[in-house]
Amino acid sequence: MTPTPEQVAAWADGQLEGAEALAVEAAVRASPALQAEVAAHKALRDRLAAHFAPLMRQPPNLDHLKTLTGADNVTALPVRRARPRWVWLAGPALAASVALAVVLRPSPPPAGYAGSQLAAMLDNQLVADQQPGGARRILLSFRARSGAFCRAFADGASAGIACRDGQGWKLEGAGAPGAGSGEYRQAGSAQEIMQQAQDMAAGDALGPQEEAQARKAGWLAPK
Amino acid sequence: MKRASPSVASGRKAVFLSDPIALDSFSSALLGLLPRLRRFACGLSRDRVEADDLCQTTLERALRNRDKWQDGTRLDSWIYKMMRNIWIDEVRARNRRGQTFMEEEMGVAIGADGGQEAGATLGDIDRALATLPEEQREAVILVMVEGYSYKEAAEIVGCPVGTLNSRLVRGRDALLAKLGEAA
Repeated sequence: MTPTPEQVAAWADGQLEGAEALAVEAAVRASPALQAEVAAHKALRDRLAAHFAPLMRQPPNLDHLKTLTGADNVTALPVRRARPRWVWLAGPALAASVALAVVLRPSPPPAGYAGSQLAAMLDNQLVADQQPGGARRILLSFRARSGAFCRAFADGASAGIACRDGQGWKLEGAGAPGAGSGEYRQAGSAQEIMQQAQDMAAGDALGPQEEAQARKAGWLAPK
Repeated sequence: MKRASPSVASGRKAVFLSDPIALDSFSSALLGLLPRLRRFACGLSRDRVEADDLCQTTLERALRNRDKWQDGTRLDSWIYKMMRNIWIDEVRARNRRGQTFMEEEMGVAIGADGGQEAGATLGDIDRALATLPEEQREAVILVMVEGYSYKEAAEIVGCPVGTLNSRLVRGRDALLAKLGEAA
């Protein structure tokens, strides 16, 4: 059998089956010319794939992101190359940079700490498991320079950061009671929160596995 | 020809996304496909600006037609087909208007914007690809770059598998001839 160039290409690409594949394979084995054809085919495939590969590692076009998210406030944080890359997409619920949030406190937590509902979310919810569209979301988790695990969260129109210590989830920065403490708090915008997280973080955001491990450890920093 | 982006303007690095917030599953899936879509757009078109425009048009059409995508079928093939058709329409419209692609406009595609990997040989590949007829180029790109099977590629293009196979071989031979000269 003398296979056609189409058959040789299809064989080289693993597209043939059964008797046809066997026949082409036998013909290639017997013919240095066909072997060269197969080698050239594969070399070109590798060269083309390598040529286009850098595109897969480039940051996305922000216009594309905005089209898909419908959000104007797409913001980006720097992360180191070797780690998974993250982008922070602020949902429409977070569009307002200043919002009022009622803080529900069924049983009063220590001052400056997350209430039970928020604490439950901070304890349990993993970024990787979140359903799209939920109002209460973890934006990211990271480790502060102190070593403590911290999580940026969004709850309806407000967003904040809480860090775990021996007493619970201590609210930081914009989420913490400030000058105007009381039942109402000024919520940070997602962008502010992300900026704040970046300032606080000792490294990059936790990846899904790291988050799961941290949850397993109760979000308490390893000694 | 880089587009200014807010992330650049503010001095931050743009980063890629891993977990989009508050998106429905359709949009999330499209987000995940963005790098591949852009790669395909670069393979079809001649330069990065054109490729990003093609991506943008495709995303807008996909969002408008999301109810036509059947859950459980492959979203990547669906949107590749859409992008491919948009591109072919664009090529036909240009041909009707008598516009042709200038040789000088070709072949500066990937390397120019791609940073570290830019090198002399990158231009050679872009230039060689640009000389192929559309039908051969799309066959080569779908199989050799995007990694589709002949059957899947034929489905995206809308031609028989045998036709796809022969376009691939003709495109490949033309590329090998051009790149052989350049090497």
